[in-house]
Amino acid sequence: MKNNQITLENINLYYSSVAFKERSLKSLLGSALRVTRKNHEIHDVHALKNISLDIGPGERVGLLGHNGAGKSTFLKMLAGLYPISSGRRRVTGTVRSLFDLSLGFEPDASGRENILYRGLLLGLSPSFMREREEEIVAFADLGEFIDYPIKTYSAGMQVRLAFAISTAVGGEILLLDEVIGAGDANFMAKAKDRILMLIEQSEILVLASHDFGALTAICERGLVFNHGQIIFDGNINDSISFYQKSIEAK
Amino acid sequence: MFSYLTDIWKSRYFWTHLSFADLRSRWRRSFFGILWTIIQPLGMTLLLSIVFGKIFKVDIYEYAPYILSGMIIWEFVTASAIGGALAFVQADAYIKQCTHPLAIYTLRTVFTNIIVLGMASLTLVAWVLVVMPGNFGWHWLAALAIFPILGLIAWPLATFLAYIATRFRDLPHALSLILQAMWFVSPIYFEAKIFKGGELHALVDYNPIYHLLEIVRAPLLQGTWPTIENFAFCAGTIIALIASAALLGRSAEKKVIFYL
Repeated sequence: MKNNQITLENINLYYSSVAFKERSLKSLLGSALRVTRKNHEIHDVHALKNISLDIGPGERVGLLGHNGAGKSTFLKMLAGLYPISSGRRRVTGTVRSLFDLSLGFEPDASGRENILYRGLLLGLSPSFMREREEEIVAFADLGEFIDYPIKTYSAGMQVRLAFAISTAVGGEILLLDEVIGAGDANFMAKAKDRILMLIEQSEILVLASHDFGALTAICERGLVFNHGQIIFDGNINDSISFYQKSIEAK
Repeated sequence: MFSYLTDIWKSRYFWTHLSFADLRSRWRRSFFGILWTIIQPLGMTLLLSIVFGKIFKVDIYEYAPYILSGMIIWEFVTASAIGGALAFVQADAYIKQCTHPLAIYTLRTVFTNIIVLGMASLTLVAWVLVVMPGNFGWHWLAALAIFPILGLIAWPLATFLAYIATRFRDLPHALSLILQAMWFVSPIYFEAKIFKGGELHALVDYNPIYHLLEIVRAPLLQGTWPTIENFAFCAGTIIALIASAALLGRSAEKKVIFYL
């Protein structure tokens, strides 16, 4: 068996300010003509600060923290989407991440075609996707709409299909960002079971959530984020009470 | 570098699918569908040949395939350069959630355009077979080399431009201007001898676009093999473009996601 492992050493991550500053010709001329204003200067965002961490096989880790504390950035960095500015990142094992589910549908193609397309996007082969197709169709439970173009779907239906496809295949390392909470009540229950099944199959789980109930039920270890730093690392119950105290202190 | 290429191979189902989806959506609900890849250049060529034929007093039957060969290949280059420059911006939904090598998104554009070029070139072949049947021979095999050569030119070019265009969105607009300028100084519609006669012969002799076009024009229109020089210029261009794209990609590849 492969030893799935996440090792992080002194990770720093900056969002370069050039990326979101206005760079049009107009603003260039404007700044040349005007006396420089100091109050609105945009700096590089230091999104993750000096993070060192080990996550071994079998660990279930929950991420806590207010909005903008760095949870999502941390997950995207783990997934290899965001480049780190310094430090060392080693992730052994296949990573499966569920972040933004509704991205990447083709509106003119039917639901059934989109199942195949999404699978290909996830790096799976067409033959594998055809095997799984019926099961995904059954889970999404869209009736005859599965053969209609995606653009005729309601928002909820799109989410259901996206969820069914994205959760059809697990990975050794599972990264979840607030995905529990899609569709109507009936679908919610099904979705929860499915997520739990995926979690059981995975070797390592990292879950970002504001739902303390889900966190205590699923995770054993908790990390509390604040301004891009990990300010607490320990048992999930201790982490939750630490996080709650830090909110009250404000 | 090697693992980058194997990753591109591993995701082949994905980018070929994207290419075919592009083709499907381009002609969705149109009556002629993919036949437009043939009709469009053919109609344009007829139009230009009649006009140019009258102005320059040249034989339309022989001038038309010259224009047609220039048109479909130049169309490929511009579509790959401008479309490729926007490839990352267009694929931002994929880039933000999957860690595929970015070059697959420019490869998708280039692959789509190669298929379009392949369709369009059927017209050229048919025309030449009817009008100049004497040109047919083994050297036509050399003309097939245009597909891999164009692919290897357009892919790194598109990738190089896409890295820049993601950050500087002015590039695609500037690009169409630059390409227009290149069109004027290259023997694409105008015959090479117009340039060769005067002081402008350097525009032909050292112009990779001329040598690229010769790979098709020599066998099909003159019935001869392309020269070693033609191939050498193409190879040089390919190496230069791959080197620039790889060099820029080393630092730019990871940062693209911040600019989307």
